[in-house]
Amino acid sequence: MNDDAELLERIRNGATDDFAGIVHRHQGRVFAILHRYERDAHKIEDLAQETFVKAWRALDQFDGRAPFDHWLSKIAVRVALDHLRREKRRPNEVGLPEPGDDALDWLRRGDEKSELEGRAAAELLDLAMRELSPLDRVVITMQEMEGRSVKEICEATGASGVAVRVRALRARGKLRRVLGKLMNEANEQTQAEPTL
Amino acid sequence: MRQMNKRKLNQLFELARNEPAPVPPADFPADMLRAILREPRGTVAGELTIFDRLNLLFPRIAFAAVAIIILCIALDCGLTATGMPGLHDGLSQISAQWLLTPDEFQL
Repeated sequence: MNDDAELLERIRNGATDDFAGIVHRHQGRVFAILHRYERDAHKIEDLAQETFVKAWRALDQFDGRAPFDHWLSKIAVRVALDHLRREKRRPNEVGLPEPGDDALDWLRRGDEKSELEGRAAAELLDLAMRELSPLDRVVITMQEMEGRSVKEICEATGASGVAVRVRALRARGKLRRVLGKLMNEANEQTQAEPTL
Repeated sequence: MRQMNKRKLNQLFELARNEPAPVPPADFPADMLRAILREPRGTVAGELTIFDRLNLLFPRIAFAAVAIIILCIALDCGLTATGMPGLHDGLSQISAQWLLTPDEFQL
């Protein structure tokens, strides 16, 4: 019996405190998933809490056929999806953030392979992904950032295989258009700057 | 409008994957434990709403509806070609004989 199964068995038998052990074992993975959809550290923590609370409430539904972390990941993805939907409905009073200088430089470089820090790349991608529908964003993130299969994405989102493929294709197209627009703006900005 | 090419987009995904995930606060498991002690267990969690489910099933529902329509048309054409009364005749008969019987209009 693996450690998860052992802990879950004890929790089912009334050892509630052992849930802290489950949280400790899986918190890193949950934070990593949620971080793909939200940049703010406080919001990520709130979403992680929501994920574990939902897992706790639904613990009796976990039948042990799949590994516990798969089941928990699905809940985290659903929490992220709900969060993206809420954010989409909320009017944005602050406005979208601008890409940083490093990201602008990277965009200007065209096709050549150039370095960009992981954080700056993730911020730029986040900016472009805000233009996608919540479900499209989840699909493309799971596929490209987490390397999940279509089957896994179907299980996590409840969408059919065809829908996942169509959404992934559509999301990639939209990302290329949005990032292309940012590339144009970055190039125009360079041309407009007076040379010293 | 200019698009970012596929290779550059893939490069962006690759670079973004390198960003380390945030580290959970040290007291997160203890906070969680306090939170769950206030929560009942056994309720359904993480479920999609009925509208979400319909939205996700939309391609299948649309495909099934089109398949049923095509099947009905093919059946009707087939019945007409063999000289048997088609669906249209059957429906006309039902409406004439049963739904709108002449007796109902008699005062």
